[in-house]
Amino acid sequence: MPIEYKKNQAVFTDITTVEEAEGLLEWLQGKPAAKKVELAACTHMHPANLQVLMATKSRVASWPDDANLRAWLESALKFE
Amino acid sequence: MNPLLEQFLSEAREFLQGIGEKLMQLEDAPDDAELMVELFRLVHTLKGNSGLFEFPEMTRVLHAGEDLMDSVRKGRVAYSQALADQLLDAMDFVGLLCDEIDASGHIDASRAADSARLAKDLRALIVLTAEASAAEANLAAAEVPPKVEAATPSQLPLADLPEAVRLEAFRRARDGDAAHWISYKPVEECFFQGDDPFFTARQTPDILWGRIVPREPWPPLAEFDAYRCVLEFQTLTAAPRRELDEHYQYMPDQVDIVPVDPLFFVIPQGNPNGGPVYGDFIDDVLPHLDTGDLDALKQAAQTMLELSNPELWLSSALRWLLLLLDSIPENKMALRTLIESLRTLTPPDWSALQPSVAENSSAEQATHPGVPPQPESSPLSDEDAAAVKSIFAAQRQILSFDDKPSWLQGRLKAVACVLVNCCKVSGDPDAQDEIEKALQQSLEAGSSTPLLTWLEVREEVQAEIEAEATARDEAAGAGRDTIQANKEPPSAPAPEASTPAATAAAEEGPRFGRRAEDTSATASSKSLKVDQVKIDRLMNLIGEMVVSKNALPYLAQRAEDQFGVRELSREIKSQYAVINRIAEEMQDAIMQVRMMPVSFVFQRFPRLVRDISRKLGKEVQLVLEGEETEADKNIIESLADPLIHIVRNSLDHGLETPEVRREKGKPASGTLTIRAAQEGDQVLIEIIDDGKGIDPNIIKRKAYEKGVIDEATMERITDREAVNLVFAAGFSTAEVVSDLSGRGVGMDVVRTAVEKVNGTILLESETGKGTRIRISLPLSMAITKVMIVESDQQSFGVPMDHVVETVRVPCNAIRTIKHSKTTVLRGNIVPLKTLNDLLGLHAEPQANADNEMAVLVVRINGDAVGLIVDDFHETVDVIQKPLNGVLSGLTAYSGSALMGDGSVLMVLNVKEVV
Repeated sequence: MPIEYKKNQAVFTDITTVEEAEGLLEWLQGKPAAKKVELAACTHMHPANLQVLMATKSRVASWPDDANLRAWLESALKFE
Repeated sequence: MNPLLEQFLSEAREFLQGIGEKLMQLEDAPDDAELMVELFRLVHTLKGNSGLFEFPEMTRVLHAGEDLMDSVRKGRVAYSQALADQLLDAMDFVGLLCDEIDASGHIDASRAADSARLAKDLRALIVLTAEASAAEANLAAAEVPPKVEAATPSQLPLADLPEAVRLEAFRRARDGDAAHWISYKPVEECFFQGDDPFFTARQTPDILWGRIVPREPWPPLAEFDAYRCVLEFQTLTAAPRRELDEHYQYMPDQVDIVPVDPLFFVIPQGNPNGGPVYGDFIDDVLPHLDTGDLDALKQAAQTMLELSNPELWLSSALRWLLLLLDSIPENKMALRTLIESLRTLTPPDWSALQPSVAENSSAEQATHPGVPPQPESSPLSDEDAAAVKSIFAAQRQILSFDDKPSWLQGRLKAVACVLVNCCKVSGDPDAQDEIEKALQQSLEAGSSTPLLTWLEVREEVQAEIEAEATARDEAAGAGRDTIQANKEPPSAPAPEASTPAATAAAEEGPRFGRRAEDTSATASSKSLKVDQVKIDRLMNLIGEMVVSKNALPYLAQRAEDQFGVRELSREIKSQYAVINRIAEEMQDAIMQVRMMPVSFVFQRFPRLVRDISRKLGKEVQLVLEGEETEADKNIIESLADPLIHIVRNSLDHGLETPEVRREKGKPASGTLTIRAAQEGDQVLIEIIDDGKGIDPNIIKRKAYEKGVIDEATMERITDREAVNLVFAAGFSTAEVVSDLSGRGVGMDVVRTAVEKVNGTILLESETGKGTRIRISLPLSMAITKVMIVESDQQSFGVPMDHVVETVRVPCNAIRTIKHSKTTVLRGNIVPLKTLNDLLGLHAEPQANADNEMAVLVVRINGDAVGLIVDDFHETVDVIQKPLNGVLSGLTAYSGSALMGDGSVLMVLNVKEVV
């Protein structure tokens, strides 16, 4: 399971696929502000998931260890 | 190449041919729905097939073509000349791609731009015409995202990039790398197609920076659709255009790749605090710039930078200033602009400087080939090329030193560095790897040889390319035809490949027709072009084989008769049967090779008929039938001229003008049918018109007047026979006038041509209804069946076509009427002639033991004539060879043939003899 949902945290590991997007959106639709995503172990994210995170303005608890991915995601998920 | 691909290519060419033909036909009948469906089907199938392979360029164009045809088919878009032109253009392009795949196994990445442009043009046609209906317009717009005009660098959000990235990009550009801004907007439904645009963007080669932005404001979460892609991926890369095109080759319509002039990276940013203080600095340094004292300028800037907070706008500007001083010190305009910007604390407007940037940069390159704005796309001017060449020569000289100083390593490195930079500037960045490899080897070996070798090889290649380029320039006149070879010639990068798509489209789009023509000649197909001489040789060989095979039965006979070994005789016979079978099959196979469809001759008629009827002001509908009927090549070829003659005659004299036709109650447009069919071992060709026909009475009178027939004949002959008088020699040469004017002109030429290949021609006509000409030809002239007859102890062959029957006539049944011998056969009077007399042999014909004469009855022009010979023999299949040299004047013989026992058989030309 590339995304593991905890109470207020979604933990991304390895590669998240396009199938995840629906579930992720559902999970985030309830109280998005209280929830955070854990991306440290993520190596690649399907853009469908990414735009869900962007649309819900999800807060990132930890950025990916993968520097390249981190740079990309920071451009999209750093909300002032 | 795998067989599937091979098959695809050969099929694709057929399809393209078919599409071309259908388009032509549609020009005549734009409303023909069936034709349209057929055309759509062709394009559709071809597109489907192309999808089996990794040729997105091809599929894209075909897909657009298919969509267009679909709209046309459904009546949403009207068929037009422009549309046909566009489609033909696209098909030429596809043909070109096919050739390229055939030659190299893949499509050059640079084709993607062309392909996208063509597809866009095709789709534009759909949109254009669909505008009428709003609903449809929406539909089309949904299908075709309106392509944003390629942004100019000044409009790019370069200021959003961190300064470090921009500094890096500027440095890379200074070192000869490219700088491209890519904006990648995947189509909304791309997730459903299994695409991962983020991955694609991440994999962009030589990426310097990238970010993801939403294309539209986010909707409320409840309405948000996770599977509709609304992201845009923006990247800055230092990769050359070619690599980018290759990377994004599947979605050229979704990416904008904009080359960025390095100056546009120069955007100072930061805290604008303490503005006024800088005035002094500006006043201080500008004189330095004016006097060209760059060192002082640098010194001042460095000092100022050390004193300032790095966060400040000033510091940022100073960092840029230092970098500019380092890299392009001669571009004073740029330096001045940057310094002046300190006054206002607004980023310098480089686009205002753009023209001068362009000017400067070209001047710069000669002295300082450091900052080519678009290294990929700047073909060197002659001057620069010469400079680069002399640099290469200098490096070569350095490498040629055979001393071994302690600084050899440093020297080698320096040389390699120079070479790499030169190569980058001249548009050959790929050389870098090779040079570095050579350098490595040189360093390890401690000698300059590997580098020197590289240099020499390169010079040779360069010389070749130059020679080619000049040759090509001469041939092509304009240098537009820069062929994109696999190994990109550094001196001639294709302009199409590197200019931004927008400008390429703005110019008159490149045409593919010419190139397609150039290559189509060499395009290989399944069929083989063989010199006819070779086939003829095969034919001769099989002929000899048949002959020598025929010697075997003689041998068997001898074995039995002379040596009494019946066993051996039987064995020889069974062997003979085997060889016979193989030889016959072989003969058949070779015959097949020589077979050609009559369409070879027929294909020229549509045009001919159209032109002539247009000229004569007649309306003619041409119907061609049985085009696939095959016959020997010689026969087909001999048919061409007579047929044209007949068709011309029919149009000229047979068919009436529309007015006359209407008066007579016929449809205004006449019909000319040319039909071919195979009947037994004959090819039957009919030319039928529904014109006014030929009046036999006029023919009879004319023929009588010209002395072709005598009065008695004129009374006697039937109408049917009369109309065939047009074929009579002498009839045609006369200037026949009046209403059947020249109907027979040249008709005897036609007859002669047909008879030359042992064919017959017959004309039927009904006054007022039309004329029908039937030509029947043998399938092949190669094998002739002849009957062997003996006269004066010599054997002669008589073609079976002429032989009616063989009879034994008792001597007392032969009567002499007016010095001519005749006899009565089944109530008909048959004139008799002795073969010996005809051939000038001074011998009396021999009667057999029963005192009967051997009479061979032959038919000549419909009349039966008896030839008195000594004896009959069997009939044989022979391959006739025409008489050559001095013998060719002997009209009495049509040719010679070799017999199984090695003897030569002379074949009589019965018509000439009698």
